[in-house]
Amino acid sequence: MNETRARHLFRPCTWVYVVLLSLTFITWLVGVNHFSGRFFAFLVFGFALLKGQLIGDYFMGLKQVAGPWRWVVFTWLLLVGILISSAFWQTV
Amino acid sequence: MKYQSQQVAKLYFIAAIGLFVGQILFGLIIGAQYIWGDFLFPQLPFNQARAVHTNLLIVWLIFGFMGAAYYLVPEEAETDLVMPWLARLMFWIFLAAGAATILGYIFLPYADLAKLTHNELWPTMGREFLEQPTITKLGIVVVALAFLANIGLTILKGRKTVINLVLMMGLTGLAVFFLFSFFNPTNLVWDKYYWWWVVHLWVEGVWELILGSILAFILIKTTGVDREVIEKWLYVIIAMTLITGIVGTGHHYYWIGTPEFWQWWGSIFSAMEPIPFFMMTVFAFNMVNKRRRNHPNKAAVLWALGTAVMAFLGAGVWGFLHTLAPVNYYTHGTQITAAHGHMAFYGAYVMINLAMISYAMPLLRGREAANSNRSQVWEMWGFWLMTISIVFITLFLTAAGILQVYLQRFSDNPMPFMEAQSKIVLFYDLRELTGLVFLIGLVVYIASFFVGAKEAEAKTDGEEVVTA
Amino acid sequence: MSETKKPRWPPGDLVIWIFIMAELLVFGVFFATYAFTRAHHVAQFDTYQLTLNRNAALINTLALITSSYFVVRAVAAIRADNSQACFRWLLAALAMGLLFLVVKGAEYHHHFSMGVNLGTNTFYMFYLSLTFFHFLHVVLGMIILLAVALKAHRGGYSAAEHTGVETGASYWHMVDLVWMILFPLVYVMR
Repeated sequence: MNETRARHLFRPCTWVYVVLLSLTFITWLVGVNHFSGRFFAFLVFGFALLKGQLIGDYFMGLKQVAGPWRWVVFTWLLLVGILISSAFWQTV
Repeated sequence: MKYQSQQVAKLYFIAAIGLFVGQILFGLIIGAQYIWGDFLFPQLPFNQARAVHTNLLIVWLIFGFMGAAYYLVPEEAETDLVMPWLARLMFWIFLAAGAATILGYIFLPYADLAKLTHNELWPTMGREFLEQPTITKLGIVVVALAFLANIGLTILKGRKTVINLVLMMGLTGLAVFFLFSFFNPTNLVWDKYYWWWVVHLWVEGVWELILGSILAFILIKTTGVDREVIEKWLYVIIAMTLITGIVGTGHHYYWIGTPEFWQWWGSIFSAMEPIPFFMMTVFAFNMVNKRRRNHPNKAAVLWALGTAVMAFLGAGVWGFLHTLAPVNYYTHGTQITAAHGHMAFYGAYVMINLAMISYAMPLLRGREAANSNRSQVWEMWGFWLMTISIVFITLFLTAAGILQVYLQRFSDNPMPFMEAQSKIVLFYDLRELTGLVFLIGLVVYIASFFVGAKEAEAKTDGEEVVTA
Repeated sequence: MSETKKPRWPPGDLVIWIFIMAELLVFGVFFATYAFTRAHHVAQFDTYQLTLNRNAALINTLALITSSYFVVRAVAAIRADNSQACFRWLLAALAMGLLFLVVKGAEYHHHFSMGVNLGTNTFYMFYLSLTFFHFLHVVLGMIILLAVALKAHRGGYSAAEHTGVETGASYWHMVDLVWMILFPLVYVMR
C-alpha cells in the first residue's frame, strides 16, 4: 500500500469513487429533467452496470482474484442487464 | 454419551418411532379410502383418519425434536440437564395426552369430541392440523414451557454454542407460533391468515432452524470438521431461511381474500425458499468431503446426507413447482400440494429425526460409537426402501395432480371434482402399493434395532482418512 | 511488491460470498419482476414514478457510495495494521448509512402521509417493497459494520488477521451494488 501511495497521488479506489459520484450525478440530471426514451433510459442503465462493475472490481476487490470468483459480480450484472434491458427495450 | 441425563432422550425416540408406525398405518388407511371411498365407513370416516395421520406426524416429529434436544443440549453445553425428572414427567404427560386425543379422533365423531371437551368455552377446534381439543392444546403449552425451561436453563448453566442457541431459537419459535392456534377469529380470512402463522412459520421458518442445528451437530460429530466452519454455514443458512421463509408466508395468502400484494411478495420470496435448502445440501456434502475421520456409524451419515438431498427436493424443488401465483392459480389445493407435502415432510423433518436417532441411539444403548455392521446394513435397507418409496409416492401424486389440474381446471370442458378423481384413481392405486413398500421399509428399519444387537461394533479399520 | 499469483478466493470469509450470491439472486429476481411488470403497466409506472423524490435518491446514492468508499479505506487501514484508523473509517461509513436511513425514512413518511400504501397500485407496491427490502439490508449491513468496528476498536484485528473486516466490507459493498441498479431502475428510467 505504501508503495502504491508513493507512485500515485490518489489511491485507485479514490479515482473510482470520483467516477461513481460523477456517473450518479449524470443519472440524477436525467432523472430530475424527466428525460425519457430509449437513449436516456439505456444511458443511465449502462452507467448503473458500469458502476456495479467498478464496485465489484475495486471496492469488493474482485479485480485481484483469479478464477470463477473474479466474475461473480460481472455475471450477475450481465444477467440482470439482459433481463431488465429486454423488459425496457420496447417500453421506453 | 457423555452425560447421564442425556439418557432421557431414549424415551422420546422410542415414542417417536412408535407414533411414526401409527402415522404410516393411518396413511395406508386413508390411501385405501382414496381407492375405495367407503373403506371402514362409517366406523372411521376419512376426515377423522386423516386427522390422525397428520396429527401423529406432527406429534412424533415433536417427540423426536424434544429427544434430539435432550440429547444434544447437554452434550453441547457440557453439563447435565438441570431437571431430568421434569423431562421424564413431561414425557408421560405428553404421551398420555397425545394418546387420549388420538383415541378421541378414532372412536368419537369429531363433533362429540368437541362437545365432550367443551370446545364452546374457548373454540379452537376444527382447523386442519390444529384439530386438537382446547384442553390438549393447553397441555401442549404446559409441556412446551416445561421443556423450554429445562433446556433453556441447561444452556444458561453450561457452555454456549451456536448450535445450542440456534436450536433454542427454533424451539422457542415453535412454542410461540403455536400460541396462534388459540386465536380463532370468526372472519374466515383472518382465521386462515393466522392459521398459517402456526403451519407455515413452523415448517418453513422455525423448524428449519431446528433442522439446521441438528444437522450441524451430527456433522460435527461424524466428520470432525472444525466447529467454526460449521457454525458459519449455520449462520448463513439461517439468515437465508428467515429472509425467504417469513415473507414467503405470502404464498399461502393468494386466493383467500388478502390484499393483492401478497401475490407478489409470496411469489418472489418463496421462489427463493429453495436457496437455504440448496445451501444445506452443499454444506452437508462439503463437510463430509472435508471429514477428518471416517465415523463407524455410516448409517447416521447416510441419513444426514439423505436429509440434505431430500429436503432440497421435497421442500425446495417441489415447493417451487407450485409456489408462483400464476401457477398456484391452477394447482391450489390439488394433489400437487399433497405430493409436495409428502416429500417435504419426509425429506426435511422425518429424515432429520431419523438421522439424530441413528446417531444417538447406539450411544444411548451403551455402544461406543455405532451399531454392528449387520444392524447398520438393515438400517440402510430401511433408509433406501422408505426413501425410494417416498420418491415414487411423490411422483405418482404429482402425476395425479397434473392430471387433476388439467381435467378439473385447465381443459376447455372442466370436469366436476369427483369425476376428475375417478379418472386419476390409477395413480392412487400405485401410491397405495408404494405406501406398502414404505411400511416394509419401516419394519426393516425397526428390525435394525434388534438384529446384530449382540454383535461387535462396526469399525473403520483400514480406511482412516489422512488429515491434512 | 513482487508479482505473486492472484488468490483464488475473494476477500473475506467464503461463506459471506455464498450469502452475497444468494442475496444478489433474490434482488435480481425482484428487479426482473419489476421490469417485466412495468412492461405491462407502462403508463401507470411512468405516471407514479414522477411522484418519487429524485433529490432524496441522489443524496442516498451519494451516501451509499461514500459509505462504501470509507469501508474500502477501513480495509486499507487494517491492512496497514492501523486498528484505530480502521475504526474511524468504519464509524464514518456508519454515519453515511444512518444518513441513508434518515432520508429514506423521510421519503416513506411523505408517501404514507399522502395515503400511499401497498394496495394503492402495482407501482407503489413495487416501490415500497423493493426499497424497504433494501432498507432492511442497509440495517443488517450496519449491524455487521458496527460489530466489526467495535472489534477493531478493541484491537481485535491486525494486518495479519483481518478476515472479519473484509467479510463485513464485502457485504456492505453488496448493499451498495444493489442500490446502484435500484436507483435508475425505480427512480429514473422511463
